[in-house]
Amino acid sequence: MPMKGRFPIRRTLQYLTQGEIVFKGAVKVMTVNYNTRGELSEGARKFVFFNIPQIQYKNPWVQIMMFKNMTPSPFLKFYLDSGEQVLVDVEDKSNNEIVEHIKKILGKSEETLHKEEQEKKKRAHPATFGPKKYHLRECMCEIEGQIPCPALVPLPKEMTGKYKAAMKEKATS
Amino acid sequence: MSGLRGAVHAKWIIGKVIGTKMHKTAKVRVTRLVLDPYLLKFFNKRKTYFAHDPLQQCAIGDIVLLKALPERRTKNVKHELAEIVFKVGNVIDPVTGKACAGTRFLESLTDSESLTEADTTYLSEKLQELNVSSTEK
Repeated sequence: MPMKGRFPIRRTLQYLTQGEIVFKGAVKVMTVNYNTRGELSEGARKFVFFNIPQIQYKNPWVQIMMFKNMTPSPFLKFYLDSGEQVLVDVEDKSNNEIVEHIKKILGKSEETLHKEEQEKKKRAHPATFGPKKYHLRECMCEIEGQIPCPALVPLPKEMTGKYKAAMKEKATS
Repeated sequence: MSGLRGAVHAKWIIGKVIGTKMHKTAKVRVTRLVLDPYLLKFFNKRKTYFAHDPLQQCAIGDIVLLKALPERRTKNVKHELAEIVFKVGNVIDPVTGKACAGTRFLESLTDSESLTEADTTYLSEKLQELNVSSTEK
């Protein structure tokens, strides 16, 4: 049973996470003006169809708006936090060229992304256990090769707390 | 701790004006793309904001850029009009700077150089008719 739609791969998590553009913190709004007909807008149309979902997935706090058939020439416009506006003319550019251009001018560089990932890893110590929000795993029983959770599989009698306490008492008395 | 501009999460937003009946205030509809968790597709989600427009220069259908105010102006107004990006009926193409409507430039339509022979003769005839009728009276 295949997925519904024209290019349903666009609707997979793997495709969405493959997006390369992560905008710098200053970018607040992105506007795409393109035309539904015409060869010059072809790249822009492909960009909207294939790449916008990836960009929005990676940048959930950037407002993205699309305008169709408002002006004869297709372009992108970015509104930054400082009030500055960046106009990118995409007439006669292919889908990939637009992505590369945007990544170069307004995207976080590979090294910044790498550094951020490292920072995130550092903050979360993998050897601790606790709530999912702060730790990798909740209990030692989740790891393969360790004792299974006593809620599911009862511990052998010698390991239970009550047996150990009884033994200790016997030894002292 | 209101911070630099902390009244609202959205510092800069773009939207379409849907109402101007309020005094010096524009009602603006802002759409954001929100991911549906099951379909994994983005859909537009609308939200209306009120923006302070002191000169009442917005008309319904304009695309405007709003800036967050440092403090709330009234109970609902937390933004002000920063710039009208596209004025309805009077869109200017930012790449070339010319007026346009849809996918055509407007200037070329009134360009006298692009008129053909037939057009000029037709127009001159019409002009002669007008002259005759004015002299008759």
